[in-house]
Amino acid sequence: MKDIIRLENIGVTYSNKKVLEHLDLTIREGEFVAVCGQTGCGKSTMLRLILGAEKPTTGRVLIDGRELPRPDRHRGYVPQKYSLFPDKTVLDNITFGPETEEFGLIGRLKPGFRRRRKEFQAQAYEYLKHMGLQASDAHKYPDELSGGMQQRVAIAQALIMKPQILLMDEAFSALDPGTRSEMQKLVRTLWKETGTTFLFVTHNIPEAIFLGSRVVILGKDSPESSSKVQVDMELPEEAHSREEVERLTRVIGNATAGAKLELTYAE
Amino acid sequence: MLFRIDAKPNRLTALTLSWFLFVSGIALYFYTSHNRHLENPEDKVIPSLQQLTTGMTDAFLKPDTEEAAPEGLENASLGRKFLTSMLWTDTLASAKRFVWSMLLLIPAVVLGLHMGMFPIFGQFFLRFILFFDKIIALSVLPILFIAFGIDELAKIMLIVIGVTPTIILDTFNLTKGVPQEQIVKGFTLGAQDFVVTYSIVLKQIMPRVLNSIRLNLKAVMLFLFAGEMIASQDGLAFRIALLRRHMGMNVIIPYVLWVALLLFLVDLTMRVANKKLHPWFREA
Ligand SMILES: Nc1ncnc2c1ncn2[C@@H]1O[C@H](COP(=O)(O)OP(=O)(O)OP(=O)(O)O)[C@@H](O)[C@H]1O
Ligand SMILES: [Mg+2]
Repeated sequence: MKDIIRLENIGVTYSNKKVLEHLDLTIREGEFVAVCGQTGCGKSTMLRLILGAEKPTTGRVLIDGRELPRPDRHRGYVPQKYSLFPDKTVLDNITFGPETEEFGLIGRLKPGFRRRRKEFQAQAYEYLKHMGLQASDAHKYPDELSGGMQQRVAIAQALIMKPQILLMDEAFSALDPGTRSEMQKLVRTLWKETGTTFLFVTHNIPEAIFLGSRVVILGKDSPESSSKVQVDMELPEEAHSREEVERLTRVIGNATAGAKLELTYAE
Repeated sequence: MLFRIDAKPNRLTALTLSWFLFVSGIALYFYTSHNRHLENPEDKVIPSLQQLTTGMTDAFLKPDTEEAAPEGLENASLGRKFLTSMLWTDTLASAKRFVWSMLLLIPAVVLGLHMGMFPIFGQFFLRFILFFDKIIALSVLPILFIAFGIDELAKIMLIVIGVTPTIILDTFNLTKGVPQEQIVKGFTLGAQDFVVTYSIVLKQIMPRVLNSIRLNLKAVMLFLFAGEMIASQDGLAFRIALLRRHMGMNVIIPYVLWVALLLFLVDLTMRVANKKLHPWFREA
């Protein structure tokens, strides 16, 4: 599989505060990378770099071998909050991407628009069903939905664009445990079905282990230093059972607390 | 009971409380008026009910001057009389200026939006508009009259100077307040700058922009009235200023109430329209 994301010697400094320094990370196509780390360690910053929403102070971010100036339709995004457009119904939220891409702002006045819109809506209903939502939810506004349902819609909204990479930032942190575990299963299934590269940021280690085909942990050696990759571990399919997730959580917990950080799954 | 935070008046009490000041205000007015008329039956300062009725019939049913009356008005229906009345012609004149000022707020909203979205735009205008905002509009009134003459343009400019900076800055701040996530999200869904600006950001802030305009209606009216009172041949404020010279309190008072009623109706319409147009909007 080819490399789809390359972070080369990344440094990020906010007004004298070094958040990231000498960060190198390569992500291959089709991987599910779960990025974990304590609050403030720069996970979201890293995600924004990959999205193109922010520029590194030093180093380069390469997507498919190119530096891209800003977010675009090839990189989908599901944030923790404000993930849907509050003024649009569920259906309009999902069809927004395809409609906008094909018709832009004024193109909506063109004669072919209404027919295409019907097609997009039919697609959107498929996605809704696939995400476990009812057709009757289609005409609700986001704030009439529960948090879990909102995130389902947000994922549908991103996936309908068939992005190369799907980036999720603490997408389930606001959900209750039951809903959260349902959403984790859904996301893993979607990853397997679509073969898309997923990058999932969370501060919950078990969640990272359950989801990722690879777990990356960012952390600092001391409070003053900047974050680096502490753990970078590939996980085989069998690592995602409940017992294995628990065991690995302990292993990683011990390792990051101590000094031994060169972990592989076999240990 | 009075200073209890958890007091729960029943419906009758609530009704009584909320109308009490109206009723006592009206009662006090007529009591004072009655006393003054006992001393001087010709008193014009606090007109009696009868004087007010005469004033209202004149204002609501008769044209401004005899010459302006069309043929056969004597026998016309009440509705037709009203449409040729002094009050109605004044209302139309003021309404025209009001609508013009409202239309001028559209470019103000667009400017504020662009300033918030496009940093180059923002940098170009922000400092200047912040300065502009500090100018007391009424203080430049003489300059306006000298520069634009005393016709419509000067009056409209007064409103522009008085109200548009507020609306521009409000829109600017509302635009800035849209979470970054929404803008990034827009890009990831294939939107270009103008789609993000208009389909995502403007749509989202529109109910708040309308609210801000609604809350600034009083300022619009204030500047409109100032312009009309000082230099105008028609309009509600022109009439009020004119009647002051004749101590025409029996017409001024109905005029003041009429203006309040109109403003209330505009405000109500805007509130209802805002709800209808943006059913998703929850007032924070
Ligand atoms: N725009 C900014 N200006 C200044 N400092 C910033 C900015 N954005 C982030 N930071 C700082 O950079 C550090 C990393 O932030 P980041 O949001 O990437 O952390 P995070 O790992 O996502 O944390 P969390 O788990 O709380 O979301 C934090 O200390 C934060 O205060
Ligand atoms: Mg974060």
